[in-house]
Amino acid sequence: IFFVHRASPSARGLCIPTRAVCDAETIFALSSGHGRCGVAVVRVSGPASSMVLRNMAGLTQALPPPRTALLRRITDPKSKELLDRGLVLWFKGSLEGVRPAEAGEFTRRAFHAGKLGLTEVEGLGDLIHAETEAQRRQALRQMDGELGRLYQDWSYRLKRCLAHVEAFIDFSEDELIEDGVLNQVDSSVRQLETEIERHLKDERRGERLRTGVQVVIAGATNAGKSSLLNTHRVPPSRGTTRRPLVEREGVRRARQRVEQADLTLVVVDSTQLPPDPQLVAAFLQQHLSTVLPSPEAGMTAASDKVLLVLNKSDLVPEEQRERTEGELRERPGLPPACFLSCSTSTGLEDFLTVLQSRVKTLCGDPLSGAPSLTQARHRAHLQQSVQALNQYHQYRDQDLALAAEGVRLALTHLGRITGRVGAEEILDIIFRDFCIGK
Amino acid sequence: MLAQKLHLLRHNVLSFVSSRTGSDFTRRQYDVIVVGGGHAGTEAAAAAARLGAETLLITQKIMTIGALSCNPSLGGVGKGQLVREVDALDGLCGRAGDAAGVHFSILNRSKGPAVWGPRAQLDRERYRQFIQSELLSTPRLTVLEGSVDELLVSQPNPEEPGHHRVTGIRLVDGSHPILSSSVVLTTGTFLSGSLFMGQTTSPGGRMGDAQSCAGLSYTLKETLGLRVGRLRTGTPPRIVKESVDLSLAQLQAPDKQPTPFSFLNTHTRCKPEEQLPCYLTHTTPGVERVVRESVHLNCHIQQDAKGPRYCPSIESRVLRFPGRRHQVWLEPEGLTSDLLYPQGLSMTMPPELQLRLLREIPALHRAEIRTPGYGVQYDFVCPTQLTPSLQVKSTQGLFLAGQINGTTGYEEAAAQGLWAGVNAGRTALSLPPMALSRTQSYIGVLIDDLVGRGVTEPYRMFTSRAEFRTYLRPDNADLRLTPRGFEEVGCVTLRRYKKAVSVRDGLQEALMALQSVALSSTRWREKLGNISLSENKSTTLNGLDLLQYKDVSFEMLASAFPECLSQYFEYSQRLKIEAVYRPHCEKQSREMERIRSEESLSLPSDMDYLSLPVSLSQEVREILDRVRPNTLGAATRLPGMTPAGIIHLLNYVLRTGQRNRHTEHRNRSSQKEGEKGQLCASNIPISQ
Repeated sequence: IFFVHRASPSARGLCIPTRAVCDAETIFALSSGHGRCGVAVVRVSGPASSMVLRNMAGLTQALPPPRTALLRRITDPKSKELLDRGLVLWFKGSLEGVRPAEAGEFTRRAFHAGKLGLTEVEGLGDLIHAETEAQRRQALRQMDGELGRLYQDWSYRLKRCLAHVEAFIDFSEDELIEDGVLNQVDSSVRQLETEIERHLKDERRGERLRTGVQVVIAGATNAGKSSLLNTHRVPPSRGTTRRPLVEREGVRRARQRVEQADLTLVVVDSTQLPPDPQLVAAFLQQHLSTVLPSPEAGMTAASDKVLLVLNKSDLVPEEQRERTEGELRERPGLPPACFLSCSTSTGLEDFLTVLQSRVKTLCGDPLSGAPSLTQARHRAHLQQSVQALNQYHQYRDQDLALAAEGVRLALTHLGRITGRVGAEEILDIIFRDFCIGK
Repeated sequence: MLAQKLHLLRHNVLSFVSSRTGSDFTRRQYDVIVVGGGHAGTEAAAAAARLGAETLLITQKIMTIGALSCNPSLGGVGKGQLVREVDALDGLCGRAGDAAGVHFSILNRSKGPAVWGPRAQLDRERYRQFIQSELLSTPRLTVLEGSVDELLVSQPNPEEPGHHRVTGIRLVDGSHPILSSSVVLTTGTFLSGSLFMGQTTSPGGRMGDAQSCAGLSYTLKETLGLRVGRLRTGTPPRIVKESVDLSLAQLQAPDKQPTPFSFLNTHTRCKPEEQLPCYLTHTTPGVERVVRESVHLNCHIQQDAKGPRYCPSIESRVLRFPGRRHQVWLEPEGLTSDLLYPQGLSMTMPPELQLRLLREIPALHRAEIRTPGYGVQYDFVCPTQLTPSLQVKSTQGLFLAGQINGTTGYEEAAAQGLWAGVNAGRTALSLPPMALSRTQSYIGVLIDDLVGRGVTEPYRMFTSRAEFRTYLRPDNADLRLTPRGFEEVGCVTLRRYKKAVSVRDGLQEALMALQSVALSSTRWREKLGNISLSENKSTTLNGLDLLQYKDVSFEMLASAFPECLSQYFEYSQRLKIEAVYRPHCEKQSREMERIRSEESLSLPSDMDYLSLPVSLSQEVREILDRVRPNTLGAATRLPGMTPAGIIHLLNYVLRTGQRNRHTEHRNRSSQKEGEKGQLCASNIPISQ
């Protein structure tokens, strides 16, 4: 497609043919087909087209000449929130010769043209597959290079560490290179280790956002698992992925599932609860211990990865339900419990609010704080990088060549994300930071 | 051989009478002609002759063969590794260093044996004498005094890639041509060289020597169409030792026990107690002032616009890093010399200002200059026009080595000279060319960097350039190179080969003996006393495991198991180093394998990158077109090359390579280059 050929790969086209139409209404459509694709072409047609262009592409002054593409930030016309970046252009005449690209075509072209770093490409991959709002935001952030910038910063600092160790090895016997250089490297390496480790400890939040939250619905036969799933027909707006039901028969498999899940909804038939509200907590605790894996597996009843759904609330007397709710409110050792009726939808709103906040916590709010890992590949390289830095400390006083090897290795692993670092780049830093003679 | 010696002697004597009487005494046809008698030329000539080629070395002045034009020292960090490798391939400079050294030290002693830098201050006279007598006693080698005017070239052999073929040289005196199958040019700074001091410039490559070879320059540029660039270097003034107040400088003693460079030597000519000290002093603000005041009188430094990243002169040091103290080493020039060499004070300002500058340094406040410092500018041939065998791609039989390829330093020159000599000899003897892998040697790293990436400033070896530094160690250069140098390359004499093989077998036995003694950590603690072992009590450790520990020496183990270990005492240091590095080298072996396989995948030299039907960015195409890497490995290391680009290139080459393998001539060369892989495709030596 002609207008994205040499442009930012992130570009989605907003292409506005102001074809003379007699219809008074302005229409718009996604003309690049539905589903996942790298470039979306949105066509707007009708008298208000220029207004759309002005409002959504920030072209308040004047429109560009026809058939001229501009890279713009495309914003929500009301909230002005950034939706995407993309090319906009408009036509007076016909649209002949325009064809939407195949899925991923532009990504591949941009990558092969050397226009994109690996982080950016992965970010674009996420954008292609972004179904939910939060995912879309995270992908956009990565495209803008926030994650890339974070890794580049580490790479830059690691390069400096390596350059200074190498300078100490290659030049300290002939040139004036203070011993203090190595002490600085020591603390820089420690700082980097801490930062990368902290980043790794984000509990897979970014990955979850990318692959979706794994939710398991567990419970006894007839507790209402299927009903819950069917009720929960609202689009998976917060990135949830439906998981097959877990029936009691496959208990072991079920537990395994629960262990791997990001969030478990334990469905309990309210009519099976002890009528005495004071006994309910103990009953639920007992019930959870049969459904959930053992605490050693890292999952306790109090874990914030569990929600209790007390289904069939419409079949329980209202007074009993209220008293039970009071008993269960913020009960230590028990996950939050929601009464709900799948058949009448009573309590569904409250349940969804709780669910939403849980998922948000699990994914992290992509608009604040440090960007999370979006790719398991990054995680692996970062882990190897930290391990390699360990070797630096291990050999620092024993054998500087082996210690330097640790920093080199760490940079190699990081380089698998940010790009390879050659010896010349290290020498650039050495010659810049130290006065090295002939 | 005796006749050759006599021949050289007569010639040498004659050269004092007339410097241009050579041709009467020489044959008209040689296998190899080497032009230049510096570090590259002498190694090249000696290597070609060792290989069995009838070799002629032509130099402007026989007396300056083996002269140390600049600093009176050899080795150092990175450079010392090169000296060890040249020695392992039976080159000259290691043994010459042992004969001429007057101050030996291992640099980086505290930083790990992989980066130890064997280094020596040299007696200039002894170094020259050693090299000259060595060449004199080399069979099949003739030395001729003369100036080369022209390189003779003819139509290429159509069976091989290239547009020309070298056939010999013609001397300046216009006499008959001297023919040869290959020519090695090692002209140093003499290619369109000019000397700079203050505001005066004069043609030449070294002060006090004849002018440079204009005819040669013309042939390279005009006839062969080679791209050349211009580089600059310089040398400091030489100071009269008596005029220096050494009490104001810091004494730097040599190692108590000199360590020889050569694997053949157990001791150096200079006795430990005969060694001379060096002195360390520093620049002062006054030095900076003189530099600033003299900039307008300093042509060389004014032209420093696109200078190297490092600081080649004291001028560049103080201008780029002002307000600092810079180190100045005062080095002896020899046992009987009355001069000192101020390392770090290379300068090109007018002589009277040089004196003023020196005297701003307390220890030099009464210093007298014997010869002032000066700068040199010279042409170099962009080395990306060479193959990994150091042959000019376009010209069959023409090899280049040393500063002409854009390097700096004796060791870098010697390393290239040796390898160019090897391949010039092989070509003359109709043997396929050979390349050294960067996974196997610093020489391989050096040549791969040069031909794969080119230079923008004089190239100098650093250990940071070597990916496999923990394997490319000075201690194991003989194991890495000597057996192959004999078995495959042909540049190693039987005597050295036998010695290397016996060392290799001895080490292997010793390693097996070490592995055969295995005890629990508790028992080791009982045996060896107070050592800290991290393993838990019941773990069984063998002697090799134990030797990895910082506090454990081979001697300790040998005293615990005298019956099976004490016979290996002579290898104690090498065993210790091997034990510490072996696990790391094993971890790297897969990466080494990958690099080797990329190195063995050669890219056709006539590939049209600009229109190649693969997905490559214009930027990458231009880089590839400019550098024309010889192998996929070299392409991978090009700055600006993307991983995706490499994959496409690889796919393309594999696809078309298969199609063309049996049809096109040029693949003959890639098959030959493939054979070089045998030289590199070895496991880590002394396998368990």
